[in-house]
Amino acid sequence: MADANPFQDPLRFERRLPPCAVVIFGANGDLAQRKLLPALYRLAFERRIPPGFAILGNSRTEMSDEQFRDKMRDAVARFLEDSPFEQALWDDFARGLYYVAGDLSDPGLYQRMAGRLETIAAERKTGGNVLYYLSTQPSHYGPVIEGLGSAGLQKAPDEGSWRRIVIEKPFGHNLTTAFELDRCVHKVFDESQVYRIDHYLGKETVQNILAFRFGNGIFEPLWNRRYINHVQITAAESIGVGSRGGYYQEAGALRDMIQNHLLQVMATVAMEPSAVFEPNAVRDERAKLLRSIRIMKPQEIELNAVPGQYGPGRIGGEDAKGFRQEKGVDPEAQTDTYSAVTFFVDNWRWAGVPFYIRSGKRMPKRVTDIAIQFNTAPLSLFPSEVSSRPNQLILRIQPEEGISLRFVSKQPGGGMRMRPVSMDFNYGSSFGVRTPTAYETLLLDVIMGDSTLYTRQDMVEASWRVVQPILDYWAERKFDLPNYAAGSWGPKASDEMLARRGHVWRIP
Amino acid sequence: MSTAAPAPIQAEKILKELENLWISLGQQEGEDESTGVLRACSMTLLVAIEEPPFGGEDAAAPDTRADVGETVAELMHDYPSRAIVLRVPMGDAPLLDARVFAQCWMPFGRRQQICCEQIEISATRPSLPHVPAVIRGLTAPDLPLVLWCRDADLLEAPAFDQILPLASLLIVDSRAVRSPRQWLAKLRTLESGGLRVADLAWTRITRWRESVAQLFDHVDLRGLARKIESVTIRYSTPDVPVAAMYLGAWVRACLGREVGVTLEQAGQAMPWVIQEMVLEGAGVRASIVRRDRNAVEMETSGHSTRLQFQRLTDAELVREELSIRGRDEIYERVLDLL
Repeated sequence: MADANPFQDPLRFERRLPPCAVVIFGANGDLAQRKLLPALYRLAFERRIPPGFAILGNSRTEMSDEQFRDKMRDAVARFLEDSPFEQALWDDFARGLYYVAGDLSDPGLYQRMAGRLETIAAERKTGGNVLYYLSTQPSHYGPVIEGLGSAGLQKAPDEGSWRRIVIEKPFGHNLTTAFELDRCVHKVFDESQVYRIDHYLGKETVQNILAFRFGNGIFEPLWNRRYINHVQITAAESIGVGSRGGYYQEAGALRDMIQNHLLQVMATVAMEPSAVFEPNAVRDERAKLLRSIRIMKPQEIELNAVPGQYGPGRIGGEDAKGFRQEKGVDPEAQTDTYSAVTFFVDNWRWAGVPFYIRSGKRMPKRVTDIAIQFNTAPLSLFPSEVSSRPNQLILRIQPEEGISLRFVSKQPGGGMRMRPVSMDFNYGSSFGVRTPTAYETLLLDVIMGDSTLYTRQDMVEASWRVVQPILDYWAERKFDLPNYAAGSWGPKASDEMLARRGHVWRIP
Repeated sequence: MSTAAPAPIQAEKILKELENLWISLGQQEGEDESTGVLRACSMTLLVAIEEPPFGGEDAAAPDTRADVGETVAELMHDYPSRAIVLRVPMGDAPLLDARVFAQCWMPFGRRQQICCEQIEISATRPSLPHVPAVIRGLTAPDLPLVLWCRDADLLEAPAFDQILPLASLLIVDSRAVRSPRQWLAKLRTLESGGLRVADLAWTRITRWRESVAQLFDHVDLRGLARKIESVTIRYSTPDVPVAAMYLGAWVRACLGREVGVTLEQAGQAMPWVIQEMVLEGAGVRASIVRRDRNAVEMETSGHSTRLQFQRLTDAELVREELSIRGRDEIYERVLDLL
């Protein structure tokens, strides 16, 4: 290729981004300040941001470019993790920050935005590439997409450049609204331009599940119903709903965590290997798995799905409020701050293997992990109780990303005394390098045009189809809530759900 | 000064000591119901270093010893290995000595530790001929051996002619070699003999090279690399550093044709080696200038960008080389041009 850069060294150089402008809608909001700007600054610190790079922020607040830069400087200095804040580097980075104020439903905003983008492209040499990032309330997605479409901002100025849009979850409030959002998006953008972000998929350990499963020869032969007894996926948070009470009471744990993050994690654990490691090939396999999850009938939901809500309790020696006592929450709210569901995958690999998924707020600690529990040895040769303990493979997603394999070993000395031992791999200590945040990974990917870790519409629909019957069933009933104390591992009914199959929740 | 032959050290005896070490670590850790120590090894890392004599008055000696130990310990986190540190104290007295210990760290803030074994061999030059046999016996089975020769002069010792065939990777550092042309010719010979050679002087310029590549991704310069006619590299050392030679040859290797390469001394001494790099041609000018210890400025078409260039430790440089599987064809092409 005549125009290829001859100085490339793929063996050593990090992936470099093409020039582009990132337009952040909701730039004054929490997500932009806590996650997006620190991630972009960190990429600049790592020399990953090209010289032709700019950010155009938008929100309703009137601000000059300078004021926006000052505000973002404070946010980056405050929320940057594991990295030093370098004023000189910031000064250089900040020269590429611009701002345009305006109401998202005002068509004039998009005309002004088009003008600014043209100027920025000339000043910063962004090559006409633009990434739109919807970091707003979901109710604004429609107006923004329509506004971009009516101003023609979804169309790249020439064949060599691109326009992409990142949409934050939730992708709809239910199956019907997910379809509506999709129709709205596709009126303006082609599917190849759309990147639905699920930050869980950007986490190193979630990506490492693929490396672990498909990069090693020894695990895949065991990865099926013959050897795996069941799988437990836990996403526990110690915090409550905080200031998000109003939003959360409409969402709940099943919608907020399981429908998107945890079903994606489950799909990654259980999917078939793709023929090639290419975005659509990998996503096809994830989508196939999600479509294979058995959709429960009402009579099955009672036994396989448990809602929970935290009442007052104590965490870390301090009193914690119940959900209904949180600010902005209806004192009679039926919201599930905890959900536990037993899923089954109807395919040859997984038939009959329960996938237990739970997610809750105000649990004893913040932890997300996946436990693969293997069958016990077919015959117990040794008298010890320990020897009948099944092997477990734990994939830890947070806070300490890593993998542990538990097995039993003979204790040195006479007799056959057994002891459980563990082989551990920890990301932080094993690689000794800083792990990029999920947003750094995903922003890099979208600017590179790599959608492997982004969710596709068919995946969104498949996961809504799985949880919608549960949501509908729960909506028709009144539960005796709260049913677990803040600081505990969830309601008794959740333990009973596993006990029916002779299983118990792990204490992560 | 004693000239008696040193007592021989035997690989088997050292391996026995290692075994005892593991037993003792296991006993310490296994006293309660904890999960024991994890012994990890992915290669044999042989580090050869020349040192002032034991008991000498050279103040640098303890620092050098500590420095190598820390670097090896740091590397083990990423590349757990059986590390053999071969210390070659200066002096003519025969000396051959070995000791073993473990490098352990706690990864999870829990009781379980990950441990790697380390063997230290001290041998003066007269005793070096005994060393290859010991190394052969100590190499971890079925795993690669990486030889990191911290002092270029050591490679001249005949003992290394016997050690080199055991290695799958040789790491050297050309930063301070006295005769760069002769030295590079030696590296070329080793490389053409099938050994993968890695030079930390080359590793140090990765970020310079990456910045050049980044410049030519810029909209104004995309596709214009073919117009480059000259490259000027300014350095701040008294003699032409190998790093500057590498950079000039790299531009030629990438473009696949002759370009004018000028290597010249910058005005003043600086605490870094490369000060500036300028690429020019018809309608093309791009430069990268070191601004301070931690930053450079890239400039093209009046547009400038500041980049972080943090100082890299030896461990970070070696880690970059160890992360490369197989041959580094770009480096080999550059070496062939010098």
